[in-house]
Amino acid sequence: MALVTGGASGIGAAVVEALAGRGFAVGCLDLSPAGSDHAVAVDVSDALAVSAAVSQIRDRLGPISAVVTSAGYYEMAPVAEISADAWRRMLRVHLGGLVNVARATLPDLIEQRGALVAVASELAVGGGDGDAHYAAAKGAILGFVRSLAAEVAGHGVRVNSVAPGPTDTPLLAADSPWRADDYLTTLPLRRLATPREVARCVEYLVCDATFSVGEVVNVNSGAVI
Amino acid sequence: MSTKLDGRVALVTGAARGMGAAHARRLAAAGATVAVNDIRDSAELAALADEIGGLSAAGDVSDPAECVRIAADVVQAAGRLDVLVANHAYMTMAPLLDHGDADWWKVVDTNLSGTFYLVQAVLPHMRDAGAGRIVVVSSEWGITGWPEATAYAASKSGLISLVKTLGRELAPERIIVNAVAPGVTDTPQLQVDADAAGVELEAIHRHYASSIPLGRIGFPDEVAAAVELLSDFDVEAIVGQVISCNGGSTRSRA
Repeated sequence: MALVTGGASGIGAAVVEALAGRGFAVGCLDLSPAGSDHAVAVDVSDALAVSAAVSQIRDRLGPISAVVTSAGYYEMAPVAEISADAWRRMLRVHLGGLVNVARATLPDLIEQRGALVAVASELAVGGGDGDAHYAAAKGAILGFVRSLAAEVAGHGVRVNSVAPGPTDTPLLAADSPWRADDYLTTLPLRRLATPREVARCVEYLVCDATFSVGEVVNVNSGAVI
Repeated sequence: MSTKLDGRVALVTGAARGMGAAHARRLAAAGATVAVNDIRDSAELAALADEIGGLSAAGDVSDPAECVRIAADVVQAAGRLDVLVANHAYMTMAPLLDHGDADWWKVVDTNLSGTFYLVQAVLPHMRDAGAGRIVVVSSEWGITGWPEATAYAASKSGLISLVKTLGRELAPERIIVNAVAPGVTDTPQLQVDADAAGVELEAIHRHYASSIPLGRIGFPDEVAAAVELLSDFDVEAIVGQVISCNGGSTRSRA
């Protein structure tokens, strides 16, 4: 059984499809689940709610052998204009969402010798103008992933990450600068990544990368090399 | 995995044994016709080609003219060339002052220059096909360095810079270049290490495994899984990157 956070849309939804294609029963945690059979509405920044939601899904689908944390949101702001609340929320959802879900699922992952994949971001690696709080939150994910990976590898649990570049999802507004031609022409690939491409990398890390631990697969159209 | 390479043709260098043979088997299982190269023709190379329904394409890839010939032979026999897996390597180790100049350069010219010549040789064929995938096998030691492996580490880190640059240069043509960096892997090279150290193969395995978070060394097919991902024509957005398979010893340094 695989658990995907943020599984109702964008990259998360593509991950659900890819893992189902590899034979997983997939349960989702999402702020607004889109009527899927095995989805629970939850704010991943709320540790108690995550713990309850994970038990609920586990009761229905059985022990969890794969976890993908994809829940998140994107906003830009100059550093001086990031309010304490905006900063806190960014960290609680991205880093907290990973930590809460990791804590709730680790006993199962250890027992199942499973895998966890955290969705980070190209901005965690390269940073960006106006991206201080998003990049800090996503960068923190990479530090957490490397350390948790070292901590649980001895139990046969593999923890890895994907760092997508700008991806064609609902998270990117139609008027986003990341969709503008003068940005796209700076990318070696000249286009955004697709949710399917990112999901394919997640699938690789969950199912096939049996000797990779603490790794980041960068799927970013060449934005950060 | 879900990679579909039906109708595609791949060339895998250094494929007679070890990791190269695993890459060839993986790509063939995904549907590709695979040409297997090694420095010389041998019964095992022919047997592998036979096993996977591919062809053998022996030749010394440190010779640019040979690279051109090999690529042309593959295209003549199989009709096209879509994927290059540059897996060949030559390795010797010695303290810096003891490493003879000719052998030092043989390491670099085989591993780094050989890959450069191969890329030059396959590029026209990939351009003809309108797309391509180039997967370069680097090494954990190309990322971390290693005592008494100056030539090998230099050649393998050179490959990473080559991949980053070619990733940028060729992606607009939908020719996608990436690298895989294996850590300690169960290949015939480990027997060489064991013999050099005068110990049993098992002892070498345990020695390396003790410093790997997963607590074991890797298997060739686990590296081949990364090669398969980077050969997938449904994935274009991984460009100029290095994917490590080392059981957690470097944890995303590259």
